[in-house]
Order: sequence, then C-alpha cells, then structure tokens
Amino acid sequence: MPHLDAAYRFARWLSRSAVEADDIVQEAFLRAFRAFDTLRGGEVKAWLFTIVRNCHATALQQQRRRGEVGLPREHDSPPGREAIAATPDPESASIEQDQRRMLDQLIAALPEEHREVLLLREMEDMSYREIAAVTQVPIGTVMSRLARARAALKLRWLQQAEGEPHAVR
Amino acid sequence: MQCAESLRAQAYFDGEVDAVAAADVERHIAQCPECTALLEELTQMRAGMRRELEYAEAPPRLRVAIERMLDQETAAGTTAPSTAQLRTVARRPTSPAWRTRAFWLGAFGGLGAALAASVVLFVLSATPPDPLLDDVIAAHVRSLMPEHLTDVVSTDRHTVKPWFAGHVDVSPVVADFAAQGYRLVGGRADYFDHQRAAVVVYQHGAHVINVFTWVAGRQTLPDRTTRSGYHVAFWRVGNLQYCAVSDAGWDELSALVRLLRDAGASDAR
Repeated sequence: MPHLDAAYRFARWLSRSAVEADDIVQEAFLRAFRAFDTLRGGEVKAWLFTIVRNCHATALQQQRRRGEVGLPREHDSPPGREAIAATPDPESASIEQDQRRMLDQLIAALPEEHREVLLLREMEDMSYREIAAVTQVPIGTVMSRLARARAALKLRWLQQAEGEPHAVR
Repeated sequence: MQCAESLRAQAYFDGEVDAVAAADVERHIAQCPECTALLEELTQMRAGMRRELEYAEAPPRLRVAIERMLDQETAAGTTAPSTAQLRTVARRPTSPAWRTRAFWLGAFGGLGAALAASVVLFVLSATPPDPLLDDVIAAHVRSLMPEHLTDVVSTDRHTVKPWFAGHVDVSPVVADFAAQGYRLVGGRADYFDHQRAAVVVYQHGAHVINVFTWVAGRQTLPDRTTRSGYHVAFWRVGNLQYCAVSDAGWDELSALVRLLRDAGASDAR
C-alpha cells in the first residue's frame, strides 16, 4: 500500500490529530476498496485523497453534531496544538526543531481550504489538475487559493518573526 | 498592489505552463520586479516547507489494521455474494470481485500513482509496463522546462534534419505541417533506451508535441497509452521506433501521427 503514508499524512494535516488520522485513513481505505469501480482514469493517488478528504469531512460533521467541536478548530488558539502534541517532544529542542515547530504551527493555523492546497502542492507534489480533483473545485480556483494560501503563510511567517525575535537566532 | 501576471508567474513556478507559455512568462518576470520577488519567495517557501515539515509515515499498527480489515472485507465479499454476482462469476472468470482484487493489488501494489485506465488494462493483459514509457514521459516533461525544448531552433526542415546527422544515431522524418496546424519548432537530442534519440518538436496551438525516434528494440510497446496525463503514441517505420508525446488531445495527436506515418512511408520509398 504505497499511498498509505501519503494518505495518512494528508489525513493528519486535515484533522491535525494523529488519532483522528488513524480513523479517517481506515475508513477511507475501506471506502476505496468498496468503490474502486468509480475510479475513472489513472489518478489513483488523487482519487484516494478525495476519499480521505470526504472521510475527514464526515468525521468533522459527526463531531459537530455530537457537540464535540464548537467551532472550526482553525480559529482556536493557540493554533496547531494538536499537530504539535502528536509529534514526540524530546527535551533538547534544537533551533531546527524550533523552526519545524513554528512552520507546523503556522500551517496548522491556516484555514483548511488554504492548508490543503498548499500541502498537496508543496509536500505531495500534486499538479493543479490533481489538486482540483481532490478538492473538487475548478483549476482556476486551485490557482487562486494556492496564491492566497501562500500569501497568508508568508504574512504569518513575517508576523511570527517580528513578534518573536528569538525565533530567528 | 499585485501584478496582474502573478497567477501566471505562480503557474510557471509550479511547472504548470508549457514551454511556449514559459518563455512568455520568463520575459515578463525579467522586467517585473514584483514577479521576480514573488518567484524568490515561492522558491524559499517551498524549500523551507520541504526541509522543515515532517513527512509523517503511517504507524505500523495502522497498516496492520487496514490489511486485516481489507482481508475481512474480501472474505465477506466471497462468502456472501449476491445472486447477480454469482451469475457473473459463473459466466466469466473476470467477475467484479476478481477485478476488485486485481485492480486493488495493481493500483496499490507498487505500480505507482499515475496509472491511466489504458495502462491498467495493459497490465491486466499481463504485459509488464515498460520503463521506456517512464523515460519518454520524463524526457517530454523535461523538455517543457525553460531552455530545454530545442537544441536547434528552426522551422525549416532542411536545417533540422541535417543537424541530427551529427548529433544522434538515427535520421528521423522531419517535416513541417504548418498548413495542417502542426508547426515545426526545432530538434533536440535525447538519450534513452541506451542510445541517442532524435526529438522533433512540433507545436499545435498551445501544445508542444515531442516526437522521439530511435532504433527499435525488441520490446513490445502499446500503440497508445496515457500516463501522468500525457498521451503517448508509438509506431514503427522500418527499424525506426517513433513515439509522440503530448498533453494535446488524442484526436490532435493522432492526426500528427498519421501525417508523420505518411511522410515516413514516402521517405522510405
């Protein structure tokens, strides 16, 4: 299952939780297995990611209905706590780890529609066409979202650097 | 204030424009400080993300859980098939359940992300995918990067054809089909299948079509296939193997293939 890692990574970025990512990916693989007939053409990874994304949306809806989440979590603060909590936290935090954590937080704090296009493009190296398929929007929308996501990340990065002079040592 | 061309500059950065448009964007960036700065930022951001973000891997227990789940699913599917499924199973060996399994294994069992339906059929008919196909696609994609499209730029076949004589091992058909909508852009030498291949570059509308020619080997190649969104057509003339690659539609690609085949046939005479 070569796409498992990528699917897991994507689920984790979407949900910002290692625990939820597990459930999402299991559900997604089950759905994918049952529904492979709907796969047209060859973009297996994009197709699988679409399913992962749907599973994430379903999980989120269920949580909201049960009242587990009051607000979309991207507006919670401090941003990206789950994503951080999910990663091991060794005592010796080097500058590198600080950097990594900061970028993690900045990206986790982006609105979901920005976060997903950015990660699909930069980390999963997907083409606009694939991203459009996964996020189910036209390519033009992918382009403008990507531009906004990048601008937003840049802005947050600059703000962070200004607010925390120690971040750049 | 944002430059009106910034989305195009971004698309260029993301490798989403073909060689012709890329040249255009490069010209713009060269004289636009804003887009120059944008490109620099995008480069830094990508490098930063790829360097600093974690490529998380699925935990082993998740892998095990999914394998177990799919095994159960498969078992459930075979022990309690619907009557319709039973009929199909009785009639044909390629039942939906069988295809499910085969496809799943094929699609997720290491053949990669970008298998097109045609390639899957190709695989199911027990012919292994040829690494040559990857090479051809890679060569095509590489050619679309700035400055990589042509070694000899000319719309004159009498310039392009002799150029090949000193640079590659074959003498391909070179013709300008501008009248039919396929403009000769130039030629290039590429190396794959352990030999120097000639590449003739055509432009059709916004699409670049690379036509590769090399001495045919023993492998069997599909007539046409699609990979990573690119259409690939193979054909032979004498001992020469031709291969056309493009993101143009099948009809457009096929029309050029027909023209080249005809030209090749009359060359041989």
